[in-house]
Amino acid sequence: MTAARGTFQVKNRLGLHARAATKLVQLASTFPCDIVISRSGQSANAKSVMGVLLLCGSQGSKLEIEASGACAEEAVQKIGELIDGRFGEGE
Amino acid sequence: MSDRPSERMKSSRPWTPAQSDRPPAAVLDGLAGSPGVAIGRALVVDTERPGVVRRHIAKHLADEEMARYDAAVASSALALREVADRLRASAGRGESSILEAYTMMVEDEGLRQDVERRVRIDRQCAEWAVDVAIRELAAQMGAADDPYLAERSHDIEFVGDRILRALTGRQRALSLPDTGEATIVVAHDLSPAETAGLSKERVKAMVTEVGTRTSHTAILARALEIPAVVGVRGILAHVGNGDQLVVDGLRGRVILGPTEEMIRAASARGNRYFAMSQGLRELRDRPATTKCTVPIVLRANIELPNESKIALEQGAQGIGLYRTEFLYVDRAEPPSEEEQYETYCRVLKTMAPLPVTLRTFDIGGDKFVSSFQAPPEMNPALGLRAVRLGLARPEIFLQQLRAMLRASVHGSLRIMVPMISAVRELRAVRQLLNQARDQVDEAGQPRASHTPLGIMVEVPAAAIMAHELAGDAEFLSIGTNDLVQYALAVDRSSNELAYLASHFDPAILRLVRIVVEAGERRGRAVAVCGAMASEPLAAVLLIGMGLRELSMESSAIPGVKEAIGRITVAEAEAAAEAAFRCVTAEEVVECVTNAIGGKIADLLDADDLP
Repeated sequence: MTAARGTFQVKNRLGLHARAATKLVQLASTFPCDIVISRSGQSANAKSVMGVLLLCGSQGSKLEIEASGACAEEAVQKIGELIDGRFGEGE
Repeated sequence: MSDRPSERMKSSRPWTPAQSDRPPAAVLDGLAGSPGVAIGRALVVDTERPGVVRRHIAKHLADEEMARYDAAVASSALALREVADRLRASAGRGESSILEAYTMMVEDEGLRQDVERRVRIDRQCAEWAVDVAIRELAAQMGAADDPYLAERSHDIEFVGDRILRALTGRQRALSLPDTGEATIVVAHDLSPAETAGLSKERVKAMVTEVGTRTSHTAILARALEIPAVVGVRGILAHVGNGDQLVVDGLRGRVILGPTEEMIRAASARGNRYFAMSQGLRELRDRPATTKCTVPIVLRANIELPNESKIALEQGAQGIGLYRTEFLYVDRAEPPSEEEQYETYCRVLKTMAPLPVTLRTFDIGGDKFVSSFQAPPEMNPALGLRAVRLGLARPEIFLQQLRAMLRASVHGSLRIMVPMISAVRELRAVRQLLNQARDQVDEAGQPRASHTPLGIMVEVPAAAIMAHELAGDAEFLSIGTNDLVQYALAVDRSSNELAYLASHFDPAILRLVRIVVEAGERRGRAVAVCGAMASEPLAAVLLIGMGLRELSMESSAIPGVKEAIGRITVAEAEAAAEAAFRCVTAEEVVECVTNAIGGKIADLLDADDLP
């Protein structure tokens, strides 16, 4: 059983809104491992849109991604790239 | 630019007496949401949240309750997916992506766990569990510090509503009762999902109490070719299921309990619209000229990229006004430069070689936009909107200008700036446009060698300063609806003051004349792109005042083309000259009608005549 973790900062202006959360969950759901996303002590299943939305990750907030199970490292890396890449949004 | 056909908005008449043996007819005015006329029976769609049963269940029934929940989730998700697919086909990806997010939220595993805990441990029935779970989630979301994220609590409520309706079997407009006959859907409001779920076979027309021409209901109704009147205040207080209605989506009017005569008049209008839209092929290829063969350029006002095809079918010689703000409304983030570029390219390529006038975003004011978090203002029409917002947020404005410049290689593109009130603003825009041009060049992206920059004349100050503005502006387009609102100091959403807001007002005619003369002296093209251009009588008056270019809703082009074809320039000029001797709007209408009304009487509406 492998585990991985990483911390990433939300850069896009609108933060973790419905469509950004949808993208994150869609990506997380492609990995077999369990993925938990946390922000200031609050955690959510990264495969739940509602949970991710409720973290209220506005611009500048730090998100911690923890994965355990198969492909854990790859999952953290890819999700980190999505957050760093501003969810494909311009700003 | 205005969406309110102000001169049409007579204050709602109360029930007017007709024959004593039948209920009297009532006319309610709203906004023309989607063209066409329908006569039929009302189906009032309940817009209240379904009442939620709160019932404790026996422990051994928990599995059964969860099975009900899963079935409700599956049917809600299926319905949303179907709507998303239909919408993707008819309107494009932008509008359907929120539905995809809703679908994922309906199927959310976290929500299911929350519901399951309440069902198994608290022994709540599924409806109760969903209601409480959603309320808690929405409250949590609503407490977010970020105002945009806090607003997302409505998305959660919408999702809960869908599941509850599936659980209680109350599906609302997504599955209309099969009455065997197409009906007129009347509702307080229809969500994008509900509107997109309607079909021409089942729905003759739609009427909503709220909404504007740019609200989702109106836009989707146009895409679905279903007549619609939106913003009909208080209609639910008057109309019941099965009531006979006339929905006039051409003029934004609903008649309750119409008389035989009203029904005849409405079908005639509907048939005329239908005949014109059917006989278009013939009319489309006929050049737009006056009777004395002076060419008049008729262009289309559009909002959605796919409306450009409709514009061509209606014989438009280009797009005189493309309202790009549709890209910005009801979405999380401003559209990326790439998305804008692709959208503009689609319109340019469809219309090429005909010109396309892209208006930079006109948001703020009455249009709710979630992409920008502008502070609330007492008087949004006079606030931070349109070019003012663009100059205040240059990074977003530059992004739009770059997308436009890049699209310019795919056809004939012009850029038009809304709500210019001073030369200084136009110069600031010119500077930004130059900056955008340099950025595009630095990125090695192709662009047309020159892209004309013009302005909307809709602030009275701009009309008065038209000569000076025409030094910097390469073309001018008069937006009569906002010009009426600003010059006559009438809030265009006021029913009570609508009688004041006429584009036939002598003050408006004089402002238009200043702009026309400035254009002639400076050698700049002048067009009219407000509602005034779309009415046969007003259009002829404008020709008489020297205008040679009009831009209007696509559906109005055939009627205006027919009208100007029956009048010579000399006749129109004589009518305009007489109009300028009038001192009230009523006198202007009467005078122009006397001069030319007889030649185009069949194209006018009975109540346009004095």
